[in-house]
Amino acid sequence: MSITSFVFIIFCAVSVLIYWRLPQHYRIPWLFAVSMVFVLTWSWSLAGILLVVATVNFFLGNWLGMAGSIPISSNDPGKSPGTVKNSRRILLWLGIGFNVLALVALKYSDFYVPALTRLLEKMGVHTGAGGLQLLVPIGLSFIAVQMISYLVDVHNRIFKPETGWLDFALYVVYFPKMLSGPVERARTIMPMFKQPKAPDAQAAERNFWLIVIGVFRKIVLADSLLSIIPAAIFQHPASFSGQDLVVYLLAYAFVIYNDFAGYTSIVRGVSGFFGIELTNNFKLPYFSRSISEFWERWHVSLSNWLRDYIFFPTSRVLLKKIPKRDQIVNLVVPPFATMLVSGLWHGIGWNFLVWGGLHGFYLFVERVSTLWSPRRLLNELPKWRQVLSALGIFVLVVLAWIPFRMELAIAWQYLVRMLTPSDWIKPDFWLLRMYLIGKTQVNSWTEFSLPDIRVFILLIPALLLDWKQSQHKDETFFTKWPGWGKALFLAVLILVVVLLAFAETGTPFIYQGF
Amino acid sequence: MTQILANKKSFWSFIILTVSFCVAIALVLELLARTPLLEKISPYRSVDSFDYQFEIKWFRLQDYVKSHGGVDIIFLGSSLVNTGVDPDIVAQTYFQQTGVQPRIFNFGVEGMTISPNSVIARLLVAQYHPALLIYVTEMRDYIAGNGLEYETPLMKDPWLQYRTGQYNLVGWLADNSSALQHYFPYRNWVRSDFPQTMAFYIKRYQETSASGYEPDSMIGVNVDVPPNPNDPAETQNFKDYGNYQIATSRLDDLKNILDFSKNQGTAVWVVEMPVHPTFYVYVGGETVHKQFQQTISSVVTTNGGSFLPSEACLGTIPLKGRSNRWHLNYIGAPYFSSCLGDQLAIFVEQSQINPIKAGTTR
Repeated sequence: MSITSFVFIIFCAVSVLIYWRLPQHYRIPWLFAVSMVFVLTWSWSLAGILLVVATVNFFLGNWLGMAGSIPISSNDPGKSPGTVKNSRRILLWLGIGFNVLALVALKYSDFYVPALTRLLEKMGVHTGAGGLQLLVPIGLSFIAVQMISYLVDVHNRIFKPETGWLDFALYVVYFPKMLSGPVERARTIMPMFKQPKAPDAQAAERNFWLIVIGVFRKIVLADSLLSIIPAAIFQHPASFSGQDLVVYLLAYAFVIYNDFAGYTSIVRGVSGFFGIELTNNFKLPYFSRSISEFWERWHVSLSNWLRDYIFFPTSRVLLKKIPKRDQIVNLVVPPFATMLVSGLWHGIGWNFLVWGGLHGFYLFVERVSTLWSPRRLLNELPKWRQVLSALGIFVLVVLAWIPFRMELAIAWQYLVRMLTPSDWIKPDFWLLRMYLIGKTQVNSWTEFSLPDIRVFILLIPALLLDWKQSQHKDETFFTKWPGWGKALFLAVLILVVVLLAFAETGTPFIYQGF
Repeated sequence: MTQILANKKSFWSFIILTVSFCVAIALVLELLARTPLLEKISPYRSVDSFDYQFEIKWFRLQDYVKSHGGVDIIFLGSSLVNTGVDPDIVAQTYFQQTGVQPRIFNFGVEGMTISPNSVIARLLVAQYHPALLIYVTEMRDYIAGNGLEYETPLMKDPWLQYRTGQYNLVGWLADNSSALQHYFPYRNWVRSDFPQTMAFYIKRYQETSASGYEPDSMIGVNVDVPPNPNDPAETQNFKDYGNYQIATSRLDDLKNILDFSKNQGTAVWVVEMPVHPTFYVYVGGETVHKQFQQTISSVVTTNGGSFLPSEACLGTIPLKGRSNRWHLNYIGAPYFSSCLGDQLAIFVEQSQINPIKAGTTR
């Protein structure tokens, strides 16, 4: 069931209406049931895997909790505080190992299944015509990091283990966040499951507009831009002019942003109707004035996870060994380690590592620069410096999308061609003029060598939306409009979506693939 | 939630306001689409059909009828008709022979075999009631499964389904909304191939004459050299056309077209396209071709129609007038069209039909 389908709207509406009519103690079972129905619309095997993951982590969490609460008798020489600590640590690493292994085994099967199949064939074990085929569970990357954070929090006694299996299983399968997050911590979302806050009229309106904005970002902006980008550009960049590579890269940057931000906005709106607030994953990231600010605005829930569970622990361990902040190791290792893990989380491939490495490098340079000049608050910088910084950061981020999107060898070709002036083709305005006045015919508009104007047509509303949200410091600024203004805006949006539906552009959410 | 329910009234008034805006915007767009200005800026129209060439013909015919006050004769068939028959020359020749100038339109569409054409014929006759429908046919029309790649998606078009009696909202909107008809040619504006396809569409639209003829500029090479079964480039043709059999379902389609002459007051004339004789090598030689002609002629005459075999015009077409074994080019089409004009005069005289629509005064 796609979350931009009409069926999903009906599914959510019915689920919400029944949810609020049920007594509180039936709401969690109901949410679990509807979440399972949602999962089952994707696949039976996915439901099975999620339940196994939930059950294993549930017991691991409880064992971790129990290991921490066993009173240590002084008469029991075999159970010293150190032994308990060790057993807790073993349990934690077992849990982390299980989740990472599940992720690697299922998500990254492309890398080892062919070799494993060959090995099995050599040993005389026949795997059938299609070889070994493993299910790639959607959303597992998001669930794995949530499970790890849960176990770490229980281990660190930040959060008490959940004792009800159903409550915990709901944390895993809760349908608005199951496919692509946000990466929620158990300590923030589980209390909301138990005490959901019924949305008042204002909250309901906000949730509604979050969904509308999400649909706009996904269908009107992301899907349209993605459809405009020729697929061949990411495979054979040499066949395109320099200006095309720049324009389509720009388009891709807005595709990936609006696709994921659109998804997050929709699921936040839906979840809000259940009285459960999900993290806002995107806070106008392309307006960031530093790389650290970018990571506070881009995929916020994962960035926070990486900061809390990779960056800070790594920094702490290093500072214990070399207690000087300006030591090169302390400057280099934490950002690189964090961003490389981020890269690997997106997929096993050299391109993702390079993408992560690039961001690690950006962060490193930014940290080094603070050694000489003390960091000033970004808002205190002169306006022109803020604008320049934002432009610079945008360029750096967009350049990093090149290895993110394509294999390294192709990414290199793409970059070189884009930056080589001789690969830029002069637009043929004379031919365009002749065509417009009906004096000549062309077989394709590419004969004019003009950058694709459609990209700019779509970037205008994309930037306008971000700019308005930034100006009002409110993503649902429409709610302050008069009733007729909101109705008119919605009517236009509905008509645009209807018209776009006639084009064959249906594309899944990009982050569902991670 | 209680508060939300309490605000039910404002919620419903918001919904009603939104729907009203939707309707108002749609009406304004509809009005704008019906002004001559838009027609001037963007004459291209579509009914969201799979086959853009079919749409070019459909709307060209609509314009033709608008400017000529009706249509007397419609040529129907595949790309062979599209590039092989210039209705203006047919009409001119006929006029020279008889002193009567019929209004003729070419509705040949690429890839359309007799199966989808039997449906299209029904639409055309119902809409325009021509005095004569000329179905231009050839042997490949009757091979089972031939042309399905065009036929299947075309038949699934909501508009075509609506037109053939299966009501659906999209089909109704495509048929009745001028705004949508003007938007549909651009409906794929967000697809990466749009700049290519649209430019090509515009080119073909402009190259199609007001009477539906689209000249082909290509001149065929070695058209008169019989195909060699051992040539790898010819393998597929031999595979497709060898063991030639006339499919019963296709004969039924022919009978459906011929039914118009019985039931709808539109006479039907079946004309065999004078493809180059080297084509018959694929199907098994001239004997197989003769058998085909006998079968078709018999079906046509027993169902109240008339059949013109390819030999009637074959000799008039020069070799350089062909773009391949089947299609005529811009040189060949005038020869064939002129011959058709002469043959039409003979046919009209022999069959005693009036090629000018009843009630038309000019």
